[in-house]
Amino acid sequence: MSDADAVGEGRPSRPALPSLPAVTRTRLLLAPLVLFDLLAFVVPMGYLLRVSLSERSTRQALVRGTWSVDGYRFLLESSLLRRVFVFTVLFAVVATLLAVGLGTAYAYAAWQASGAVRTVLLAGIVMSMFTTLVVKLFAALVVFSPNGVVNDALVASGLVGTPLRLINNEIGLVIGQLYVVLPYTVLSVYSVLTSLDEHLVEAANDLGATPARAAREVVLPHAVPGMAVGGVIAFAWSAGAFAAPALLGSKSELTVAVEVQNRLTSFEYPVAAALSVVLTTVVLAVLAAGLYGLRRRGGGHDV
Amino acid sequence: MSESGPRTDGGTETGTGTGAAPAPTGRRLGGAAVGRWLFRAGVGVVFAFLLAPIAVVVATSFAETGSLTFPPKGLSLRWYGEFLGSSRWRRAALNSLVAAGGTTVLATVAGTTAALGVSDLGGSREAAVLGLAVLPLLVPGVVLGSSLLVFLGEFDLQQTYMAVVAAHSLWATPLAFSVVRAALSRFDPRLREAALDLGASPFRAFFEVVAPNIRSGLFAAALIAFVVSLQEFIMTLFVSGPDTRTVPVLAWNSLRGSLDPLVSVVSTLLVAAVVVAVAVGAAVAGLERLATDT
Repeated sequence: MSDADAVGEGRPSRPALPSLPAVTRTRLLLAPLVLFDLLAFVVPMGYLLRVSLSERSTRQALVRGTWSVDGYRFLLESSLLRRVFVFTVLFAVVATLLAVGLGTAYAYAAWQASGAVRTVLLAGIVMSMFTTLVVKLFAALVVFSPNGVVNDALVASGLVGTPLRLINNEIGLVIGQLYVVLPYTVLSVYSVLTSLDEHLVEAANDLGATPARAAREVVLPHAVPGMAVGGVIAFAWSAGAFAAPALLGSKSELTVAVEVQNRLTSFEYPVAAALSVVLTTVVLAVLAAGLYGLRRRGGGHDV
Repeated sequence: MSESGPRTDGGTETGTGTGAAPAPTGRRLGGAAVGRWLFRAGVGVVFAFLLAPIAVVVATSFAETGSLTFPPKGLSLRWYGEFLGSSRWRRAALNSLVAAGGTTVLATVAGTTAALGVSDLGGSREAAVLGLAVLPLLVPGVVLGSSLLVFLGEFDLQQTYMAVVAAHSLWATPLAFSVVRAALSRFDPRLREAALDLGASPFRAFFEVVAPNIRSGLFAAALIAFVVSLQEFIMTLFVSGPDTRTVPVLAWNSLRGSLDPLVSVVSTLLVAAVVVAVAVGAAVAGLERLATDT
């Protein structure tokens, strides 16, 4: 206890090391992560910002040492890129709403279930989360294509006359993106539900609430912080969606991330970098707003 | 906190599910039962939506013909043979293992040491380190990939293993960090204190007292880092080259061409790797914790 004050303000349980001053120990422990994030994240991102402020050139990818806001001006002036931005945000909102709605229902079902059903529901979601995105999207392509399993079944059952178009359009994009974000919304809601006392639901039932009413008035309010965290993650990842739009969309459903790659491969570095900077700013602003809202509400839960 | 024990019978009896769908009060019990079954069916559809396509792909990998049809016409291991015979795919598999190995080491070490050190900071500096640690997870992969490509390109380091490991670790490290932090929050720090008081060196205290107590957390962190590296492909698409290309990147490139049964084979192998990883992780750390700690 005597050396507790050397460690930090009001943290009695951590002692300093006998040989190493506590501050040195903490610094050494944090060094690998901080150094890594500086070298692989902060500096490259800073460099990208610098590239976005370089002159555009038709002859080379990057004219070093120049300063210009042409990249950003181009974003504002190009009607194509404006459309891409608007489309990306709309797409992210739709994917987020669907993911939060379906994810909350799934998490609630897993929380309510017991024994084998709960294990299967949880294992399924963890499996899906850990499965390579390429595999999930390839699978969606096989299943939802015009001559895929879903359309075969629909046509065979007589529900539809001709195969539905489920890929190479907006529907395909949203289907594909759900494979990316749904596992995360399920798990962020599920993890807050595990802290809910089941006796509260029992009490509501004893007091005459129908199960649906108990779910709405007892469980749902408790799930809100998890829904918010899941929603913020889903939005961030959908706004930056690349794989689902590139594979399951057509040329008319360009997202910002797909456009970044297009500009990089055509060696327009300043435009690609400017797009990246604006995209990252939008994503982080939404994240910050979401976390701020959560904190004000008083529900603390870190990702 | 995430540890919720076996549920009481009473809770499940009275609480068996209905959806958040509004069911007007005063309806007869029949309406509630219908709602309950509709809700279950809906969740079943979501479950099938997530997992059935993967099952379909696994089935198509055993097809005899070259076209992707379900159910597959005839069964054979022909495409597995093609996979093993392809030097491109073998190289990609090797690259994936190298990248995953490197990422596991880097992410687990950086994540664990940071988790051990961060709680000593307290206050705004702790918040700053937490923010820095988690932030890369929330930046779009395309942006991270572009920044690494453009930056490392200045030193001709793009397309190296180092670039791939760095990219994968950007996402693996925050996850390893938060898993170990969750494990440490369940560890009684007085145990370590006691070891130090009894004269153990800090290293000995870590390896003989702390590590055994958070063993399952450390293992889960390493496992998650490995799996994240194995499945990542967006950043890898930007920073890898012909010699460092991983399996998902090669699969992606083949997909852009045509629907190739080899991609079904590769998908099946990747899924099998994940099934093994999740099963091992669930056995060691518990499914509940695997689901809530990450």
